[in-house]
This record gives sequence, C-alpha cells and structure tokens, in this order.
Amino acid sequence: MRQRRNSGQIVLIAAFIIASLLLSAQLYILEVGRTLSETEPDSVNDFILSVQLGSRNVVTSSLGNVSNGGASGTLELNLEEWASLVEDQYLYGKSILDYTLRDAAPYSSGIWLGWGANGYGVSSSYSNFTHKLTGLEAEVDQSFVINITTTLLIASTNQKLGGDSRQVNVTISIQNEAEPALAEQITIYYRVSSSWLIPDEANGYILRDYGNGTYLGSFVADVPAESVEISTHILDYRDIYAQANVTSTEI
Amino acid sequence: MFDRKGQIRIIESFLAIAVVFSAVLVSMTFPSSPDLSKQNSLASMGAQALMKLDTDGTLGNLIIQQNWTSIKTALDILLPIGVSFNLTVYDELGQQVNPEVIQNSNLLGREAVSVQHLCATRSQTVQFFVVRLQLAWTG
Repeated sequence: MRQRRNSGQIVLIAAFIIASLLLSAQLYILEVGRTLSETEPDSVNDFILSVQLGSRNVVTSSLGNVSNGGASGTLELNLEEWASLVEDQYLYGKSILDYTLRDAAPYSSGIWLGWGANGYGVSSSYSNFTHKLTGLEAEVDQSFVINITTTLLIASTNQKLGGDSRQVNVTISIQNEAEPALAEQITIYYRVSSSWLIPDEANGYILRDYGNGTYLGSFVADVPAESVEISTHILDYRDIYAQANVTSTEI
Repeated sequence: MFDRKGQIRIIESFLAIAVVFSAVLVSMTFPSSPDLSKQNSLASMGAQALMKLDTDGTLGNLIIQQNWTSIKTALDILLPIGVSFNLTVYDELGQQVNPEVIQNSNLLGREAVSVQHLCATRSQTVQFFVVRLQLAWTG
C-alpha cells in the first residue's frame, strides 16, 4: 500500500526534475548567447580600421592646409585633437593613439615642401602611429605609417616661330604616393624679364589631359631669350598644393 | 477502493505530463538568443559601408555640406537590399549635427545593431565627427 503511493510521487518528482532541467538548459543557452553577442570581436577590427582611415584623412587634410600656406604646426595640432577623440570614443576599454612626426631631413615636423627649380616639386607628410587597445575583448598594439606625397614633374621645350615669338610646350606629370593622379587645378606661368605671366586665350593656350596624370600645356609667348623660365602650380584632388620650376630649352 | 487507487494513479500521471508540458511551453516563451553570425555580419557590413564612403573623404565632405540626402542615397547603394538603417551624426562635443532623420525605414520593433565610426574630414580645416549607424534586417 505504502509502496504504491510512493511510486506515484516518484513519477511526479521525476516530472518536476525533467521540467527544471528543461528550463535551466533553455536559460543557459540564452545566457551564453547573450554573453557572446556582447563580445562582438568584429567591432574591434572595425574600430582599428576606422582609426587608421581617420588618421590618414587628418594627415592628408593637414598637408593640404600647410602646402596652401597654413601654419607648420597644423599637423601636430590636428593629430592631438584626433588622438583625444580616439581615446574618448572607444567604449569597450582603453584606446591610446600615439604619433611621431618625422623630423629627419628633408622632413620637419612631419612635413616636406620641396618646390625646386629642376622641374621637380613635392609636398609630403610622414608620420608614425602606434594604436594601443586594451579591454575585455582584445589587447591590440598596432603600428602603422602614413606617408602622403604629391609629386609634380614638369619638362618644357620651346620652338622659335619668328621674331620673339615662341611655341612653348610644358609636360606636367602628377603623382599621389607614386601613382598617377589627376589635378583639380593647374596654372602655368612663364617669365618675361622680371614678370611672371599666365598664358591665356590670346596666347592660344591649350591644356590637354591624357587622363593618366599627364597633362600637356601649349602656348605661344613673346620671349626674346632662347630659354624660357616656366613655373607650374597645381592643386591635386586632395587639395594638396605643389609647384615646380624649370627652364624651357629651345629645340 | 481499488478503483479509487487507479484513478489517483491516472491523475498523478496526468499531473506529471502537465508539469513537463508546461515546462516546455514556458521555455518556448523565452526570447530566442540573437542570431550572432547574422547580427555580426550586419554590423560589419555597416562599418564597411561607412569606411568605403569615408575612404576618399566623401563622408566628411557631405557632412560639412549638410547634404543628408546624398548620405542616405550613398548608404542605400552601399548596403544590401533588405537592410534598414538610421544614421546620426554627432560633433566632437556629442551634439547631434543632422537636424533631419537619415533613414530608409523605421527600425522600431526590430532587432538592431549599432556601429560607430570616427570621421575626420578631408578639408583644409579638419573637422571631427562621430557617425552612429543603426541597422536591422527588414525580413
């Protein structure tokens, strides 16, 4: 009699145990899922890439500013502000962005503006970065270099047409980080005695764009001397300014 | 007397079944854990779209120009069909910059992920923005 009563209770107890096992298993699966979703390892990679991209934009903009006549300390000021933002906006731990501006010649405070008379002009910026991330998700110590360089190469020849009149051709080649690049603006100057003049329609000025970073400027100028001094000023699509001078030789 | 004992056993068995069945029912009402791979891929897609837009400085320039329509159009193109988004732009001080909503559809009631992107403009005077993109699958 007593044994029969117990067997009925055992069925109920077993049912309760099964039910609690079911519920706890379900809760465990849910909890594990939540923990994993909080980790989001992809967000760390995306943040690192976003910081590298932003650093590149800061260096590019600063070079644009300095090459257009801005203060030489612009790069350092901008990077200081950027590093502070990178530190503040990381939500999963500590983020520190360190930077060193290249000071070895020809760079000074991370900037080199070399606008020579040999047909070569360069506007460049060079900085080393270290990005350290510490937190629950990851420990990352990443070093990278950002070198933004706009190079301008010009060559010129001229041909005597009659009297002092000369046909002048100027070949202009523009590169961004050693890759052909397009210009937003090109201005050619030629020198007559002590004045720099800009050729226009009256000079039959034509600028041909070959689409591969090479341009050919042609014009007719009245210059008594055999050699014509040429200066070319460009602004690339990143708003970085460069200039180069060359002496046009008669052919 | 014997019949009553049998009835009690049947009742006990039904009770046991009811207990197990109710446990199954209760466990079914728990919110399902988010599909992590789907959510992570959505977040990654959002981050990649913002980086793509920022590679040549386009994102920063559009923010400076306050051209919110073009930002929305660009995200419509960069993100796959079936993804809803809502973008908010903040300045360095955390003040919202965009006065109008930049979204393709409402995210209310959807399981959304949030992506944050730091944007430095490519202009001679650098400006910094924090861009927050919320995304959800529409399906």
